[in-house]
Amino acid sequence: MARKLGIVALTVGWLAFPVPLFAHHGAASFESGKTVTVKGTVTEYVWSNPHVLVKVDAKDDSGNIAHWVCEAWNPVTQTGRGWTKNTFKAGDEVSLDINPAKNGQPVGEIRGRIVINGTEFKQLPQ
Amino acid sequence: MSKRVVVLIVAVMATGMLSALLRAQDEKWNNIPPGRAAYNGKKPSGPAPRRDLTGIWDTVQTLGVSGAIEHPALLPGGRGQEGGRQDETGIAKPLPYTPAGLEALKKNKPSGPGVRQVDSVLTNDPAGKCDPLGFPYMSTWEFRTINVVQTPRQVIILSPFYGNYRVIWTDGRKPPSDPDPRYNGYSVGRWVDDYTFVVETTGMHAKTWLDHAGRPHSDQLKVEETFHRVAADTIEFTMKFTDPVMYTEPWIAVNKLPLHQLPPDFDIPELLCSPSEFAEYNNVVATPVLRDPPKK
Repeated sequence: MARKLGIVALTVGWLAFPVPLFAHHGAASFESGKTVTVKGTVTEYVWSNPHVLVKVDAKDDSGNIAHWVCEAWNPVTQTGRGWTKNTFKAGDEVSLDINPAKNGQPVGEIRGRIVINGTEFKQLPQ
Repeated sequence: MSKRVVVLIVAVMATGMLSALLRAQDEKWNNIPPGRAAYNGKKPSGPAPRRDLTGIWDTVQTLGVSGAIEHPALLPGGRGQEGGRQDETGIAKPLPYTPAGLEALKKNKPSGPGVRQVDSVLTNDPAGKCDPLGFPYMSTWEFRTINVVQTPRQVIILSPFYGNYRVIWTDGRKPPSDPDPRYNGYSVGRWVDDYTFVVETTGMHAKTWLDHAGRPHSDQLKVEETFHRVAADTIEFTMKFTDPVMYTEPWIAVNKLPLHQLPPDFDIPELLCSPSEFAEYNNVVATPVLRDPPKK
């Protein structure tokens, strides 16, 4: 499954990760207590409502590429966390800790560590 | 020092100064309110001005994602966020539904974290298709930051979230007796003392939701709000619902929620609902993560 989804580093952490107060949708579709790390290249950064999206092509050990869509909150909420419309750009090499979709699709909610071109991006506290 | 080096130094200094000017210019816009921690140990700000709610007020980030904050659709301990239930049996602070209220509740499919949550693409929440939130939904969910403007005859509440606004008449008029339904209802307000402003709102569309948990209301709903300015920089906000069709007794949805005053030059960021943006999001995220796709 990990190879199929192109997750280079599969980190499964069973965290008691509380859903932030500003979730307008919660854990129905995503594994809120599970974290995986998606490593790859940004193909598109969508600074838009209802969710900011970071699209990442992640290659697995066999060289197969999975097209991940990683969502954050809306632009206003993300601005409060230190993001801007320029935080990511196509071509950036990233590592994103996400809560993955329950149905196994390469979609997730960005909920943890963010590394952009080798530098950790420190979000402002909620 | 050679002429070339001097020119280079001047260019670098000019660039730095220009960057600083641009940063100062940009800082005026899209301001972010302080977080909760900023209000820990908040010092008294002194007496409030009389009969005045003017200003920019913030609730500290978003609220009500699981329903009205006094009655979240959650089990004790905050459990039950993943949905899967038809009703709210077992939630920590249950609501007094009538049989009609319970039937109406079951028809609403909320997408927020709670005992009845559905996958976001399956929701019938009006907010999910950018329908007007209406009142009181605009206040029970994502209250965020509001701008209150006061004229001799009106108190006007502007909310950049979903582009909401309300007009509260203070000229002594009575509510309409048989109104055409409005999304935001018909509001009249009065000062009961120099620091307490009470608002009554009726005439709201029954198709709007009360809150993000899909609580229903009828066209008989009456909302009473109390804005109690307890200090120069703080209002305590309370909201009560009375709807004998859906609920056997009135209930408090928001209880003395502090609204913190922000500086008068605070620029509230825009957060509008765009149907096309939502459609794109559903296409790229919400539909692919659907757990039980409908069979073709």
